Amino acid sequence: MTEKVVVLGAGTGGLVAANLLVSHGYDVTLVEKKDYHLFQPGMLWIAFQGHDPSKYMRRVDTLVKPGVNLLKDTVESIDLNERTVKLESGKTLDYDKLIIALGVSYDYDSVPGHRQLWETYGDYFSGPEHAQRLWKHVSSLREGKLVLAAADPLYKCPPAPHKAAFLSSYTLKKMGRKDKVEVILALPFIHAYPSETMAKIVEPKLEEAGVTVMTMFTVESIDVENKKIYSMEGEELEYDVAAVIPINKGPQIEITPDSVKDEDGFIKVNKYTLEVEGFDDVYAIGDCNNTPTSKTGVTAHLGAEVVVDRILGYDAKFTGRTNCPIVANGTATFVISSYEHPVIPVKFSKFKRMLEDLFIAAYWSSLRDPEKWRSVFKAYFEATDPTKLGESGW
Amino acid sequence: MSEKIVVDARGTACPGPITKLVRAYRQAKNGDIIEVLATDPGFKPDVQAWVKRTGNELVELTEENGVIKAVIKVTAKK
Repeated sequence: MTEKVVVLGAGTGGLVAANLLVSHGYDVTLVEKKDYHLFQPGMLWIAFQGHDPSKYMRRVDTLVKPGVNLLKDTVESIDLNERTVKLESGKTLDYDKLIIALGVSYDYDSVPGHRQLWETYGDYFSGPEHAQRLWKHVSSLREGKLVLAAADPLYKCPPAPHKAAFLSSYTLKKMGRKDKVEVILALPFIHAYPSETMAKIVEPKLEEAGVTVMTMFTVESIDVENKKIYSMEGEELEYDVAAVIPINKGPQIEITPDSVKDEDGFIKVNKYTLEVEGFDDVYAIGDCNNTPTSKTGVTAHLGAEVVVDRILGYDAKFTGRTNCPIVANGTATFVISSYEHPVIPVKFSKFKRMLEDLFIAAYWSSLRDPEKWRSVFKAYFEATDPTKLGESGW
Repeated sequence: MSEKIVVDARGTACPGPITKLVRAYRQAKNGDIIEVLATDPGFKPDVQAWVKRTGNELVELTEENGVIKAVIKVTAKK
């Protein structure tokens, strides 16, 4: 009998898992509430360089292989004991294997003033329409301060605010406003980047771009009337336009048993097998799980491959590998680490920018036809394995 | 009532143990104790820098068998 796999969420992880499994002959049902898949880093280019959102969106039904049963629906609850998934439409699905790939949810209400700030200026995390709102404010800022901050150190894509700082400073330069608008990057970390190794490489680039860096600044409250942001560490910042990364939490769905969620709603998994704690027929991949690694598309993609291999019967293990790109004026670098090895020093280069542009160009294809890209990515990840590159880096 | 909050950040890759400390700090109140366990060697200077900036009290910073233990008394919350 064909094994029935239900995949929840058509983000990077969900699409890769569903498309790989269907090509291995599994009976795959993919549940997604939205019509469009968004290439999330695209929000940076929408918000800070005015790109058109359509460039970064594709209809989900064009990204699934024939044979995948795509359901447009919202997940309401999951019962891991009963092996059922309840959907908003009233439908109930049962499964032999379940893959949860529901991403994060955003909390704009725990930080006073945050919702009002977000409604006013938008941000580059919550969706293309909000990124467009931010672009309106950034592109019309004639003078003053553009503040890029975070409400919590645990957010998707650790270098996102750094990319935001680079992209906005280039835009302002192009508009001839570089001397009139100060870009301030204020983040919770001890150094300019979470990892000190990469901070040493990124900080001079930020300086070169004219970005003011503030460390140990975690947003505690926002006074929208007086345009001030206060930090948990006891400091304050004035702004003219500000984007604050929201607190990231696990998916807002009911799961039985509740004990598989941690205090922030992230789903507790074995960090190597990605099996949900206590259930060998359920996996959680990508941003929604509690693995101690960065929340990025790359980790979701690699996690999906591991889970598919495990369903096929191989003893595959997730390595916690990150490959977070940081782009700056014609160059790029990657933040490379794994469970086995902390972040290694990787310098900015034009060659790495070319690689990143290739990865972006391959994005849609890598979702729909992940099997075609496996050998390419495998070679890349083996060649850039942090345990092999070591302290001398790349 | 003061509480003791234990943060286990052992084996945490990027973005690292300081993330967990900052998150615990948001929930904490003056008088609470935050105990962080970490294996990332960078955590030692990081926690010292964090305590200096925030004005909280570093009660203990030790390393045993590759595990760094930092005990912080929360004193600087507004």
